[in-house]
Amino acid sequence: MPLSAQSQADDDQYVLKASMDNARNLSNILKAIAFKDHSIFTATPNGLRVTVEDSKCLQANAFIQAEIFQEFTIKEDLVAFQINLTVLLDCLNIFGGSSVPGVLTALRMCYRGYGYPLTLFLEEGGVVTVCKINTQEPEEPIDFDFCSTNVTNKVILLSESLKEAFSELDLTSEVLQITMSPNQPHFRLSTFGNSGNAHYDYPKDSDMMEVFQCTETQTNRYKMSLLKPSTKALALSCKVSVRMDGRGFLSLQYLVRNDEGQICFVEFYCCPDEEVEEE
Amino acid sequence: MNCQLEGNRVKAFGKAVHALARIGDALWLDPMDKGLALRAVNSAHSGYACFLFSPMFFQHYSLESASEQGAGTIKCKLVMKSVLPLFRCLASIERNVERCQISISTPDDRVKIQFFCRHGITKTHNLHFQESEALQAVFSSHLCPNVMRAPARLLGDLVMHFPVSQEEITLSTSPLKVSLRNYCEEGRDHTRVTNTETSSHPDEFDRFQIGVNSDITFCLKELRGLLSFAESLCLPVSVHFAAAGKPVCFSVEDMALEATVVLATLMDPESGGASQAAEIPRRADAAAPPAGSREARGGVPQGAPAAMELIPSSQGSPGVAPPAPMHEADAPICSLLFRALSSEQDEGCNTAPPVLACNSEEEDDETGSPSH
Repeated sequence: MPLSAQSQADDDQYVLKASMDNARNLSNILKAIAFKDHSIFTATPNGLRVTVEDSKCLQANAFIQAEIFQEFTIKEDLVAFQINLTVLLDCLNIFGGSSVPGVLTALRMCYRGYGYPLTLFLEEGGVVTVCKINTQEPEEPIDFDFCSTNVTNKVILLSESLKEAFSELDLTSEVLQITMSPNQPHFRLSTFGNSGNAHYDYPKDSDMMEVFQCTETQTNRYKMSLLKPSTKALALSCKVSVRMDGRGFLSLQYLVRNDEGQICFVEFYCCPDEEVEEE
Repeated sequence: MNCQLEGNRVKAFGKAVHALARIGDALWLDPMDKGLALRAVNSAHSGYACFLFSPMFFQHYSLESASEQGAGTIKCKLVMKSVLPLFRCLASIERNVERCQISISTPDDRVKIQFFCRHGITKTHNLHFQESEALQAVFSSHLCPNVMRAPARLLGDLVMHFPVSQEEITLSTSPLKVSLRNYCEEGRDHTRVTNTETSSHPDEFDRFQIGVNSDITFCLKELRGLLSFAESLCLPVSVHFAAAGKPVCFSVEDMALEATVVLATLMDPESGGASQAAEIPRRADAAAPPAGSREARGGVPQGAPAAMELIPSSQGSPGVAPPAPMHEADAPICSLLFRALSSEQDEGCNTAPPVLACNSEEEDDETGSPSH
């Protein structure tokens, strides 16, 4: 295998080495958060976290645990850099990205440290491509200070019930309003567009509702432009947890199963639209 | 007005909306005693469609409005772009929607369309509407010398060979043969386009009565929606027509519904009627012209498209669309004369230009609500 045929000397220089037999397990999940070019890679012994932010109001994170990789070696407690996610995805899909059954693209990512590019070795059918992508100074991802103790309302829904709603959302509405309440409507998505308004109601006893823990009635509006990108993550996922905290901040967590059935997570944090008072 | 549809009926209703969307940008919702009519007309006023769902089509149909007595028969004009998305994915409607409820609420000028879906999920859409007078084309099919009725698939099979971009086709009928061919505008080189002709033998039709051999040219795009609707419900399609220049009417009916599409046909350039050589305008790019163009064609002879007489809504909304599609220099293509059927207005509409489509005995006069 060409990828493993690298000299031992080279290998020792890398602070981070990660290999995957199927590059799609990484590229698919990164596509779910690739709504901006700019991304922050943070690697710890637990695995890889890729963060994308938008206007300081929205943050998307993809978590790929170390166990998902065939090899994951990190020499420091924390390795972080910024990288252009669009370029990275183009490289991961360099062999065309079409899914021919049985043909996999193998990936090896190597990083020497601060100032060095991220090197990708990609192999498919005996053909090897080496990509070196420049990295930048990592910015600190925003801390939305969203902790479970402040969560007032939480639901977990099966993604299939939300997929249709999200694909039908009236995009002429500037906001997506989310209502969570112990009373009816228990969980409601609303839009206010040019042709009128629309409401999607999910009752607490629906068989699509896995968990329903709502303690108080909360209605918050979020900019549609910020939440619409989460539709990709929703499309990949099988379950989604929606949580609101006391400040009206929204947390969306998507459970994604990859080709091999392993679990990864994508989460979105979003600030409420300031113009509207919380009810 | 308040009505409820169940299961498969929602999909059929959605198919009707799709067919109407091929015709015009606005959807008229007209609740009547005999049922709920959905209508559309194109900007050139040369294509009209009406889908009338009788009370039998619905699980529940009532003209009473919960909030206001007497407001049940309000007629609404909706923007097609706001209605079509609700029914866009018919496969998903078939899978998920158990019940659909449509009601009209006057206090806030909203039409409420609610889908009750599997797993207890409810989708509610409140759409703005404009109050409007009824829109109706009058067409007397009993006066047509030519009538055909084809099983649902036949016409679909005949037209499927034409490219989706094909605007107009010519239907040629004689007692021995029926054929469809693509219409190529004057001035365009026949040899540079793919010419398609499909034909059928009268035996394949359930009913075939040709009094006058004719070649009529009309817009195919506007018809496709109805053909698709008919095929999905396996209903035969009836065609009523006459010579070139007179409108053609395609209709589909069963116990619970009646759907009609009336299309204008191109005038035969050699025929006696219009004295000018017909430089046939392209209907496809007929945008609603400035109102002035109507006057410019005032002197034009028979066949002047007086077009859609929409009585402006008394609410002051800009209900009237200026008629006619054509470039001022062109001879009029034969268009349809529509008359709003608000009974008080009938007299006012009986003006000079010859009527191409007369009072139809099938269309009842509106006896409904007095105009507000």
